[in-house]
Amino acid sequence: MWKGFTHLLKKDLKMMLSGKFFLLALFSLVLYSCYINLVYVNLEQEDYQVYLFDPHGASARQDAPSGQNEHVTDVGSRQELENACADGVSIGIDLSAGTPEIYMLSSGTQTADHYRTEWGKAVLTKIMDEKAVLSETTDHEVEIIGAFDKEQKSRREITCEFLFFELSAVGFLGLASILFKEKQMGVIRVHGILPVHKAAFILSKLCVFLLSDLFFAILLTFINIGFGEGLAILPGILAQAGILSLVMALVGFLCAVWLPDFKQFSLFYLVLAVFITTPVFLAGQTGVSWDWIIFHPMYHLFTAMKSAYFGVATTSFPFYSICAGTTALLFYIAYRVLAREMTKEG
Amino acid sequence: MIEVKNLTFSYGKEKQALHGLDFTVDDGEIFGFLGPNGSGKSTTQKILTGILNGHGGFVSLFGQEVTSARTREFFQKIGVLFEFPYLYTNLSAIDNLNYFASFYPERQVRDVNELLEQLEFKKDFLKKPVSSYSKGMRQRVSMARALISNPRLLFLDEPTSGLDPSGAVLFRKIIEEERRKGTTVFLTTHNMVDADLLCDRVAFISNGNIVALDTPRKLKEKNSSHQTVIDYLYRGKREEKTVEAAELEEGFFFPHDEILSIHSQEPTLEDMFIQYTGRGLS
Repeated sequence: MWKGFTHLLKKDLKMMLSGKFFLLALFSLVLYSCYINLVYVNLEQEDYQVYLFDPHGASARQDAPSGQNEHVTDVGSRQELENACADGVSIGIDLSAGTPEIYMLSSGTQTADHYRTEWGKAVLTKIMDEKAVLSETTDHEVEIIGAFDKEQKSRREITCEFLFFELSAVGFLGLASILFKEKQMGVIRVHGILPVHKAAFILSKLCVFLLSDLFFAILLTFINIGFGEGLAILPGILAQAGILSLVMALVGFLCAVWLPDFKQFSLFYLVLAVFITTPVFLAGQTGVSWDWIIFHPMYHLFTAMKSAYFGVATTSFPFYSICAGTTALLFYIAYRVLAREMTKEG
Repeated sequence: MIEVKNLTFSYGKEKQALHGLDFTVDDGEIFGFLGPNGSGKSTTQKILTGILNGHGGFVSLFGQEVTSARTREFFQKIGVLFEFPYLYTNLSAIDNLNYFASFYPERQVRDVNELLEQLEFKKDFLKKPVSSYSKGMRQRVSMARALISNPRLLFLDEPTSGLDPSGAVLFRKIIEEERRKGTTVFLTTHNMVDADLLCDRVAFISNGNIVALDTPRKLKEKNSSHQTVIDYLYRGKREEKTVEAAELEEGFFFPHDEILSIHSQEPTLEDMFIQYTGRGLS
């Protein structure tokens, strides 16, 4: 029954090529890469500036004279400190009373304010003799993750986001559009009476889109992170891209077989984009904080991909078990739905 | 070749589609399955071709129960022409046929060009995409797809649909040739002419029941009025006379100047269908 698999694979590849899918992927690759290299890495992404009012020299700064530290600027009065922090970004530390007092205007989001506070404390800790001065007031120990410079961090972050978007939105559309074509032509029904296993019909499509997604992931990573840096993290990226690609391709397959026409599919796609992918981006990339996001499966796929881009291996057994189980379940449902589609008429 | 005993099937709990069908189809026979829309003929064909599960009763093809027969070998032995020409419209006739042929063993596959020639397919269109074909041309390619693997059992659903009269004649000729080769044909159709001209036996199906099963000739004979109507001219006037079969046997004379036409009053297959089922075939 599996002998015809290669013929199915060839046909699906032809369908993908004739559907101009490669052009769309190529366009995305060029667009993302241009944005990353020409715009994103050049964006001003300065660290939060810290202003220190320390009239009694309580910090006993080792990097004196003042203004030499790249993160800290000394000010001469409380008024000057408040003026400097009026931008809602900078952080003020007032040591006039002996113990540090953080002064800053809220940026509008709780999470960002929290990060600013932690950053201010961490910077002050670094420049003081006695770390204990701040330890009582610091909620978390500030830790520098990785040894990447600012540009490399930016590149990894944005490349990860684009890959996630490409696989979850564009790749999903690619498979669905091919399947809709086959559905409209009625040829799915013909495969029901061919001497080839029905599962091969699904598998060949998954293989074609998985390969194309992995190829896209490789190119996007090498172009935007660099060959050497990219090669080191490629296995992890490919593993996460593979999982996301399979899950999204199967969801696309199910939707295309289930939904009667492309209009309904477009509506579903909109719902998927708005209610499923958007919260993941908001929770992962902005200061928006939702407790329930940990129950969102796509959030875990996104964070796993991000970890892969920063070279942190996701070795969690439950994560991979749930991914494998979900893929197997989706495949089974796709198989049943396909078998039902093959019996339809007209 | 096909043996069906007490075949039942229902879509859901309350929609019983088949109510215990019984029939057999012999090797090399052309068996017609006639019924109006929604009568259960497509459901029966889907069960026989192995794409619909969950039936009751016994269905055997090639001497094997159909549920256990759905193997690669089973699908290599059957050919199916669907009611609609399902083809890859972005591919040419040749590419379509080569693709579908690729799933069968090479020794079993017929030559694509010869087959299309036999089906009188226009050569200019061989390499053009199917999207540019007329309905009749698509039907020819679909027929070629059903025949490409030299099937032992051929399921044909409305084979002459979308064809002009000469195309329909050609298709009937090809189906006859298949029978001569020993292929068994299970023909599902609304077309009474096809059924009458091609089928060795026909089954009338209505509301999931077979209401009659016999050769077309016997079905018509059983219900014949045994009358003949003669149109003739007598003294410049057109007249009509109905003659009973008994009169014909005895021999008779009637005054006339010229006989214009003689009509046997044998019912058509469609008349028979309506008589058995109380419904038309549309």
